[in-house]
Formats: sequence, structure tokens, C-alpha cells
Amino acid sequence: MTETSTIKVGDYVVIQRQKYTKLHKYGSLDSIVILGKQKISLRSIAGQKYFTTFKMVPNEKNPKSGFSLEVCSEAEAKNLRDALNVQECGTDNRNILDDGESQGLKADDIDKLRGECSGSTELIEKIVENSKTFTSKTQYSQEKYLKKKSKKYCEFICIRKPTIRLLSEIYYRQKPEEIMGIRMDTLSQIVSYSGISAFGNYLLYDSGSNGLLAATMLNSIGAGTEAKLVNLHPGNEPQKQAFLALGFPQEQASRCVSVNIYSVLRQYYQGETTLNGTEPVAAGSKRKPDDDENAPVEEKRQRLEEPNPEMVTIEPKTEPTDKKLKWQLENERAVELMKGKFDCLVIAAKEHPQNIIKALLPFLKPSRPLVIFNSCREVLMDIYVDLKASGEVNGLRLASNWLRSYQILPNRTHPEVNMNGNSGFIMFGYSVS
Amino acid sequence: MSFLKPKDIIDQGDTVILYISINNMHAIDVNPTILNKKGETIENVFQTTYGALKVKELIGVKYGSKIKLSRGWAYVLQANPELWTQTLPHRTQIIYTPDISMILFQLEIKPGSIVIESGTGSGSLSHYFIRAVKPSGQLHTFDFHEARAEQAREEFTKHGINEFVTVYHRDVCQHGFSEELNGKADAVFLDLPAPHLAVPHALKALKDEGGRFCSFSPCIEQSQRCCEELQANGFIEIQSMEILQVEDIVKTKNIPVMDLEYLKHKKPTQPAENNEVKDNSDSKKETNAKQEREIKKYLTSSAPPTMPGHTGYLTFATLPPIYAR
Repeated sequence: MTETSTIKVGDYVVIQRQKYTKLHKYGSLDSIVILGKQKISLRSIAGQKYFTTFKMVPNEKNPKSGFSLEVCSEAEAKNLRDALNVQECGTDNRNILDDGESQGLKADDIDKLRGECSGSTELIEKIVENSKTFTSKTQYSQEKYLKKKSKKYCEFICIRKPTIRLLSEIYYRQKPEEIMGIRMDTLSQIVSYSGISAFGNYLLYDSGSNGLLAATMLNSIGAGTEAKLVNLHPGNEPQKQAFLALGFPQEQASRCVSVNIYSVLRQYYQGETTLNGTEPVAAGSKRKPDDDENAPVEEKRQRLEEPNPEMVTIEPKTEPTDKKLKWQLENERAVELMKGKFDCLVIAAKEHPQNIIKALLPFLKPSRPLVIFNSCREVLMDIYVDLKASGEVNGLRLASNWLRSYQILPNRTHPEVNMNGNSGFIMFGYSVS
Repeated sequence: MSFLKPKDIIDQGDTVILYISINNMHAIDVNPTILNKKGETIENVFQTTYGALKVKELIGVKYGSKIKLSRGWAYVLQANPELWTQTLPHRTQIIYTPDISMILFQLEIKPGSIVIESGTGSGSLSHYFIRAVKPSGQLHTFDFHEARAEQAREEFTKHGINEFVTVYHRDVCQHGFSEELNGKADAVFLDLPAPHLAVPHALKALKDEGGRFCSFSPCIEQSQRCCEELQANGFIEIQSMEILQVEDIVKTKNIPVMDLEYLKHKKPTQPAENNEVKDNSDSKKETNAKQEREIKKYLTSSAPPTMPGHTGYLTFATLPPIYAR
């Protein structure tokens, strides 16, 4: 664990306010994060340790313009009920009416108090004092009320170091479609079934998970180990936000070889490619992965329209021609690894996996795991039938997951009211010769 | 030695998985000879539902190959924690891959992690922990049952992964995880009848930089006590969940389609047949319909008739770094 390391400019950080978390690139000292409607300057977090709690302080000159952060003591953020010294409570809700009259303060009054009070605890104290019903609420109900208020007026922010767990939670909550709907339980099983560890070479095809899959797999490969990952992607560049967010050491990051799937397969089968032969295709391209036939024409057209960043860098070329570009070197490394074959194959494709499997399964050694993720059951059902018939894969299973969270509190234990019903689907089995 | 890293050829001493079908797998130790009940050395012959296998013939065979049994055939696969979990000799109830995967994910285990596990049980989860922490990490696994601890130790040695694990025979609820481990662990996992008794020990064992905690309990009362104790000991982000994997059984189904339309209209009958008995002609029509019956083909998926309905409640928590406790 490296939670103790200090926050540096350039890091990706997880901003946490109570249960809400957000990924943020701390690009410069002037970096500002927006939580809800509040603008918060992150200037003061540099040099502090991860897991430090900060207090939001309104800017002195112009409180409306936003907040800055100050390191605060943990005790400040602790149990509100104790802090408020609540002693009186009711036994049930028979005398509580929802008449909109229970809170004596108006919204404007609260806004005004917000400016006057030194902290949220003081503010909530005022709100509680002015609530006509608070003392007749049950103890449980009081806790719930305080929790709700402290959520609304919370001014404490914790800066966390990104981990796979935190990242996958953020992505899945905010934009599940950006990670192809791979829920954490399913992600955890991709890691298990693929058998990824510190030894071996692993092959991944990922057409868009924000780099989450590559990051997860490289995380399981570990720092200072011998395993390597080849990350195939369909675009000009691999998606890599999650990968960058984890801040892998250079040595470890370099063992993830990211290459364009067309480019590397062409080089594998047709040998050394010239510059003209390696036009990767943009991720949004309509071209199907399997019709490589008319690819050259289309690819060339595409290159004129949206130049590949790698192409741009070569344009003013005065360097000797034998100096290879980064992507060419990566292609060569990938081809070398492909010749030696791989210890697992993971496919998470937006495209139909059929031809991807056909193209990549030959690079999987016998008795090695194959794991395919898809957000649609129907797609995998077809693949299931094909693979069964082919006899190339054994122990094939198709599954999804059911995940339920629980509220466990004294005398108030029950499943959470809402649950997520969409885990995505995984299929896994073992290659045989 | 077969659990250390991926390998291509079966060596003597490997544990291989004999795959006959998805519900018929066996873990075999590749030794040419074994001791029989009388203590005599005899040839190692493994009996399956498709006949016998002379185990010594596996030596030198490539993993993933199809091999002959005396009345059929099977595949040999390299053992790994997933296949081991499905074939291991049960000494206790074990935890299966869906829960295990979540445990590893939530505990943020990676190569180099120092992990504490209690109890060792049948070693199902231990194999996963070891795979995830090697080569630089270490698993410290505790069981209060002496024979189980010893069996687990032997198994880890046989599987070539003993250097990444230390097995202790110890009651952790009473005696904790030992002084030497204070402040050493990145993660603590408990599968105990009374996990709350071990929570204070977990607090001591976790690093000053903080760490993650997990308890697996089949019963909610255990989880409740555990959660209270976690909160009292300064753990945060206490979360409890339940996970079940639902398998999809894929089948092609042929579904007959009934034609009920023709019943609405009298069939234009030929005058000659008009004289015949009416009932007879009706049944004739139905046989005709049967012959032409349309069949629709569907690729279907359904849940298995019986599936796990409950395994256990997983409770996770974070211990913040010492300056944030």
C-alpha cells in the first residue's frame, strides 16, 4: 500500500466527500475541482499525504467564488450525534406530521447561517435547534436525519490515492458505458479466471474500458516482476486514463505493450511493415474488424482526414530512416511475444468477438484460460455454440453475477433498497490442443 | 510444482487436472508409484468413469493434450486455483471463485502484498492469495486445527508454492496473529465462527499505512457483531455484500408451432368424401396438420435448476493510515 505517499502535481487523485468519489487529474497547483455546484481550489493539497482530510473554507474575498482547502483534524469530522450532545429522543413516529412546518428556519436563513457558522457542525446544531420535531424522533431516525444534514452541508474532503477498487467504483457509478458496463464483481472474476499473476505473458483485446482492463491486469502482474501484457486495441491510441491514474512505476508500465490490432497482426503475418502499411484506425471507425480486404483504401482516406498523432511527429523527419518510431518498436515487441504465445487471452470487445477469437485464439498456448466479456448474453451464446463445436476450448461456461449490498446496523439490518441488476456476462474456458 | 507459474510439459510431481467433462474433473498427483493400504509400493493407476489411467504415462505429455483412458479419453490441464477449488479434497466447507474473486479485489491484493488469512480450512482461498502475492509477497495463514494446518503445509510444498506462505497452528481469537506480525499486513481476511473476536488483532496486524479487512460469514448475526466491532476499532468504509454467480445453460431448443387458424374454416371437402363418417374426416385433418407442423429453432439460455442461493456475507472495511485514524 502506498496510501502514505505524498500528493504531487501531475498525479491523478480521488476526491472523496463522504460516500461520493471522483477521479481528478491534479495537473497544476491551480487545479480546481467541481463538486456539485461548489468550486474547490486544490492548491493546498500538494505535498500533503494521501488520506488526509481537508476542510472546505470559503474564499475570503469572495465567498461565492468558491472554496479552498485546509488540513483539518480527524476529530472534527467525527460522530455528529455525540458532538451535538443529543440526549432526548422519542419512541416512535405517531406524533410526527409532515406539515412542512417542523423546520423553523427558512432556506434564506440557512444560507445566511452558512456564512456565519464556523463549521457544518455548528450549522447543523442550529438547524436541529430550530426543528420542532427532532427531539421526538426515535434515536435511529435522529441519526438518519443528522446523516442527511451532514451529507448536505459536509465540508470535509479526503484525498485518496487511486486504486483499481476505487477507480472501478467511480467509473461504474458515473459512466458504466465507458467501461463497457464491467461491474466490479465481473472485473474481479476476469482477473481470477484469466489466472493473471507475476509470471507469464498475457494477451488482452480491449476496445474501450478507459484503460481499466489493462490497468487491472498490469496491477495483478505487479511491480518488479517478469510477466508481460500485450494490450491490443482498435484505435490510434489505447484508452488509458485508468492506466495513467494508477501511476505505475516506469519499469512496470513498460511491460504493458499497447499496439493496434490491425497493425500488429499485419506485421506478424506479412513481416516488417513500412510506414504506409501501418495505418491504425480510429476507435470510432465504422469499419468492421473482419473486412481487412478493402482496408488499405479506407485507411488511407482516413489518414488524410484525421492524421494519426504518431504520423504527425514523423512529418518533419530529418532523422536517419533506420530510427524507428515508438509504435514500430512496440509492434516489434508485441510480435516477438506473439511468436512465443500467451498464457491467457482476455477479450472485452464492443465489436462482435467471433473474428477476434478466430484471430487471437491461435496465439494462446494449450491448457490456458480464455475469458470473454460482453455486455450482451446473446452475443456470447452464439460464441458458446461456436467454440463448443470447434473443440478448441474445454470447460466452457457462461455466467453473470448477482450482487447485493447490505445495510448492517444494530437492529436495522436489511439489504440496500436499490441494487444493480446488470453485471455483464463472462464466458471462460481452457484451450486444448 | 505445477502452481508456481504457467508451464507446458507435465513433470513428475506435478498436480494435473484430468478433465473428462465439466462436471467430471479430478486432481491427480503425477507419481509413477504410490503406497497401497498395506504400505507396499505399487504402480499408480487412477480409476475414472471411463476406465483406468496409468499415471506415469502422463510424464512428458504436453498440457492441454487429449489422452487415452482404457474406455475413453480425457484432457490434461495444468492445475490452477480455479480448477483446484473444484477438485480439492474437502476438509472443511470452502469458499468458491465468485466470492474469492471479490475478496481479492476488495482487499486490493497484488504481487508483494502481505496477507493474513484465518482459518486456512481446505486451502481453497489460500491458493488464490498465494498466486496473487507471489513472488515478493507472503501469505500468513492460521488454523486452530493442527491436522488441517499440517495438511495444508504439505499441500503447499507439493504444489511448489511453500516459499510464499507460512502456515500457523494457532487460535487467533484467543492469541492473535503473533507479535512478529504486528504492523506487517496489507490485508486481513477472516473466515471464523466469531470474527468479531479477531478484529482487535486485525487492527494490530495491519500496517501503519493502513490496509483492508474482510470477513466472510454465512450468518448475518456474525456480520452484525463484526461490523460493530470494526466501527469501535476505527475501521471505516464498512460495507457488506452478498455475491452469487448465475450460470447460463445454453441450449438450442426446437419449439413446435401450433396452427389453430385452420379450425375456423371448413375444409373445402370433395363430394366423394362427404358420404363418409364426419368424425373420421376431422381426425384426418389433424393428422395432416401434425405432419406439416412448423418448428422454430431458438438458441436459449436458462439458469440451472438448482444453484447456490447463499454462500456468505462479505464484510469489507478500510483501516486508515495511522495519521488519519
